[in-house]
Amino acid sequence: MVRYQKPVFNAALRLLRDPEDASDVAQTTFLKAFEHLGKYNPDFKFYSWLYRIAINEALDVLNSRTPADGISDEEPDGQPGPERRAEGEQMGRAIEDALMRIKPDLRTVIVLRHFMHLSYEDMGEILMLPEKTVKSRLHSARQLMRDQLFQYAVS
Amino acid sequence: MVDSRQLALIHADMDGELDGRERAELARCLLADSEARALHEELRHLCSALDAMPKAEPPPQLAAKILAALPHSTRRLAAPSWSQPRWRYAAVIAAALVAATVLFETVKVSEPVTSDGAGTMAAPGTPAIVNTVRLDHGPVSGQVSLYRDHAGLGLALDLVADSPIDVLIASNGQTLRVRGLRRAAAGPPTMGPLPGVAMAGQAINVTFLVNSQEVGQATFRAPKEP
Repeated sequence: MVRYQKPVFNAALRLLRDPEDASDVAQTTFLKAFEHLGKYNPDFKFYSWLYRIAINEALDVLNSRTPADGISDEEPDGQPGPERRAEGEQMGRAIEDALMRIKPDLRTVIVLRHFMHLSYEDMGEILMLPEKTVKSRLHSARQLMRDQLFQYAVS
Repeated sequence: MVDSRQLALIHADMDGELDGRERAELARCLLADSEARALHEELRHLCSALDAMPKAEPPPQLAAKILAALPHSTRRLAAPSWSQPRWRYAAVIAAALVAATVLFETVKVSEPVTSDGAGTMAAPGTPAIVNTVRLDHGPVSGQVSLYRDHAGLGLALDLVADSPIDVLIASNGQTLRVRGLRRAAAGPPTMGPLPGVAMAGQAINVTFLVNSQEVGQATFRAPKEP
């Protein structure tokens, strides 16, 4: 748990942008992992199995949200945000906004690739998708994020 | 218009997945096509910014919340097979979580830990002590015992310390860290099984840390099956 607590929490946080929801997802993930340890297939990496539980839990939370909940103004780290001035922080905020504006399945591949730094193979294992599909989703997700950020820059 | 081949090369470049021939192809494409060049540059900035996004620390109470909720799950735990290394690794994590829960509960309540309170971990019957190591010096004192019961091998910790103790359990090429254990206020030694950790004849090294400093160590040798 010590080893995986942070990545699981961060994956949920990036998908949900709500620290409380992310904490709940992390808790549920570990409890489910323990509960279903007997179903774990050792042909797959343990962390892939664990992250799959986490991603599915986070997506369930997303699905349960109303559309108005989709984009939260809350800071992901729980710190006060409106006073942030630094360019890097503004960029970070813009990226978080853009991430929340793309569909959850595309957001998921961005999180796995760029925040968790997983390979295509690992991503395919977690999402139970062929690598080709993972790549295709990742490319689409990047393109959409780029478009979102372009609009942000223009506005 | 950037075509699909150019797009594939650009994204593959973002992921560091181009071979030499493809890199050369992309370089030619970027030289010849300003639109592709602009897209490549924008995506490069995006990927750099994404990769540089800071990681948040989980709430400090998260681990405690998980541990507090864990005994309910342990009652429904299906019996796994320990024959595969990854199974064993998963089992080590599970065992440590529950062992930590047992310790945590021991601190929280004054009465001794019962088999009911400890979920699947406290075995009925009398465990047979395989070996005991005493820790008589330094900030951690008491004894650590390797025992065997019907569920297999386990560790019993009967320790006194002024500060929370971290325990490192190393065996079979894997190391597990259990953080922030505190001295039991009363009751019998804290016991937790080690399913899959200790294979016959292998060493089990238990290291105790206070404030990240090693303060004690115990080494056991897992016995062959009786």
